[in-house]
Amino acid sequence: MAGQYGNEPMMEMFLFETSQLIEQLEQLIISCEKSDHYTEDTINEIFRIMHTIKGSSAMMMQDSITAISHSMEDLFYFLRENKQKVVDNSAISDLVLEGVDLIKEELEKLKNGEKADGNTSELQDRIKNFLSDLKVDTSSEAAAERKNLENEKQQYYLSMDKKKNDASKYKNAFKATIRYEEDCEMENIRAYTIVHNVYDITDEFFHIPENLIDDDESAKKIRQEGFQIYLKTDSSYEEVREFFMQTLFLKELKLDQIENSEYDQLRDAKKKITDKEKFISSKDFEEHSEGNKETQAMSLKQNVISVNMTKLDKLMDLVGEMVISEDMVIQNPDLKGLELENFQKAARQLQKISSEIQDIVMSIRMVPLSATFLKMHRIVRDMSKKLGKKVDLKIIGEETEVDKNVIEHISDPIIHLVRNAIDHGIEFPEERLEKNKPETGTVTLEAKNAGNDVLVIVKDDGRGLNKEKILKKARENGLLYKAEEEMSEREIYNMIFLPGFSTKDNVTEFSGRGVGMDVVVKNIETIGGSVSIDSTPDKGSVITLKIPLTLAIIDGMNIRVGSSYYTIPTISIRESFKPQENDIFSDPNGNEMIMVRGQCYPILRLHELLKVKTDITRFNDGIITIAEQDERTVCIFSDELIGQQQVVVKALPEYIRRLNKTKALAGCTLLGDGSISLILDITGLANLKGLA
Amino acid sequence: MKRVLVVDDASFMRMSISMMLKKHNFEIIGEAENGVEGVRKYKELKPDIVTMDITMPEMSGIEALKQIREYDPKANVIMITAMGQEILVREAVMNGAKSFLVKPFKEEQLINVFNKLLGV
Repeated sequence: MAGQYGNEPMMEMFLFETSQLIEQLEQLIISCEKSDHYTEDTINEIFRIMHTIKGSSAMMMQDSITAISHSMEDLFYFLRENKQKVVDNSAISDLVLEGVDLIKEELEKLKNGEKADGNTSELQDRIKNFLSDLKVDTSSEAAAERKNLENEKQQYYLSMDKKKNDASKYKNAFKATIRYEEDCEMENIRAYTIVHNVYDITDEFFHIPENLIDDDESAKKIRQEGFQIYLKTDSSYEEVREFFMQTLFLKELKLDQIENSEYDQLRDAKKKITDKEKFISSKDFEEHSEGNKETQAMSLKQNVISVNMTKLDKLMDLVGEMVISEDMVIQNPDLKGLELENFQKAARQLQKISSEIQDIVMSIRMVPLSATFLKMHRIVRDMSKKLGKKVDLKIIGEETEVDKNVIEHISDPIIHLVRNAIDHGIEFPEERLEKNKPETGTVTLEAKNAGNDVLVIVKDDGRGLNKEKILKKARENGLLYKAEEEMSEREIYNMIFLPGFSTKDNVTEFSGRGVGMDVVVKNIETIGGSVSIDSTPDKGSVITLKIPLTLAIIDGMNIRVGSSYYTIPTISIRESFKPQENDIFSDPNGNEMIMVRGQCYPILRLHELLKVKTDITRFNDGIITIAEQDERTVCIFSDELIGQQQVVVKALPEYIRRLNKTKALAGCTLLGDGSISLILDITGLANLKGLA
Repeated sequence: MKRVLVVDDASFMRMSISMMLKKHNFEIIGEAENGVEGVRKYKELKPDIVTMDITMPEMSGIEALKQIREYDPKANVIMITAMGQEILVREAVMNGAKSFLVKPFKEEQLINVFNKLLGV
């Protein structure tokens, strides 16, 4: 994922930070919407987020993001300054979330190395209109206040005028015209900086344009005509020139000495004296600095660094390689039969350390599911609003951690399941009331650890699955694989995971889109997980995703068939034994079966299945391994067990994957002696045999 | 080598500014992500020059500027700001900010301001 935008650390940092801020923003909005109230703290926080994004995107010259974050910043600036105002919170949430989506899209484009060229003008206009509507509402209240303020100002000017007229103690008069570099921005404030500093040399001066702060046009005027300042001082021409030359972003300075009388004339003509800015309602300032102090909302002190994902992947690979080479050394054929006490000691030490490293590397890659889970609030919100259903999302165990790669694979499936639950599971409020259920439906999203797996459970209290409908659909699409009456409830429900199955009569905006549950299953299976479903009519459905904690290294039992090696994940092995020829019998279809403690299991001859040449075909000579996964059991017949070993799971190369139609293989790995072993997929094998 | 403290709550901005300055042989002796930390690091590290964001959590850049100037009246503080913050910038200037840069700014602009202020 990361790293594909090449060696542009700035871009990477920009994308990383902005995405984080956007996610934070989304959560803020949704939690505010829930309480139907924007607190002062959140408004400040949102303002700050938008402000940061605006600044950063401007630096990166991403105009579309700058534009949209700017208009949102304006909106929240207004809200911040007009705290008591009653506003339509839900309309604000809608607008901001739209903006969030837009920025997300743009970020996505950038991540994919495309240009962020989205059209923002339409949304910008809407935010602007919304804002001006708000302003109209407040303007009447504000008008009165403004009048008061103006009166105050007037008084200041008068007193200032008086003082000015009395002062004529300086000998020299100057006229300076200053031009700033192009795109230095805020020319008016830059000019104000001069005004502020000019007190060092005089207190008698005036300037054009005179209103530098409150008049938005002043920056434009300075850009076009330059900033003119007239002053009287005792300093010499050189000194005055020196003073102005210190100006930052100065492009051109024109300094002329003028007659004192000329100065007076000009000043009188101007009448209004200049440095009143100093006095403009100090009240205004206080408000602002206060506003800033309030910007204290949650900022977590972090003692973390962000690391490029590709580096972590690389580290993981290297640790994998290290585990393999460690095996190569310790189980080196040259050592066979040798008594090496010291070597064994050192080897054990090495093993201990390398397994610690492995644990640490794994834990580095572990990420809590919370971010993925919290995203669902947004989906629930959008969908319930659109569909007119009332839905509560309950989240349990979001602190559960899984490998970063796993997160990427399960995010979409979870979204799909949550959408399904709301779209098809939860009923409309009236229907729920009729059924004596609470009006508001509940979707529960839960994660928990279970051994080496993480379970993600999506539960709803809706109408449940309809068996008849599923069977009917399966019949229509020819998906029935055995007689209807023989199927257990669970088997019927499980049919919704079959490719090409969909009970939707009409595709809705949310869960339609032509992808069905089979895509969910496929996604989960690529990472070695599994999906199961349970449902009770009118009580709701539960879908459980079982996901391996981590993908990369597993404990495996290596077995041999002919000259090929295979690995069975140790966790699914129940037992291995040497069968007696007379334990074996055949069922009426000619399948070989074995009876173990009163239970019959069909036998899977690996050499037949995978078409491997071997001399060992008689049960007496080989070994049987019983493996179990997801309540499915297989009896695997192979030549011999080689031994247990930690193996690094590598994805099957593309050409094998194409051949792997049987789904008997989960991946491959390197053994200690450098040979390749294929990892068996127990669920795949069980399905193959059609075993329950 | 002139020693710089970069105060900004956005790590992207800290990174951008640092990268620009490093190219021109300035030494980034510290970074801070809010005003409180900025003031603390100023006292601790005594940098030659500070870039200060205005909008930050915990303590705004303006408050930090005030405290830094109180501690060291000669402090060279450059405000990093964005369009729409005119009034805040003015306040910063009144409180002794030596200059300000408006995002988005260019590398030359940043360097020019630094060189001019430090008399290089």
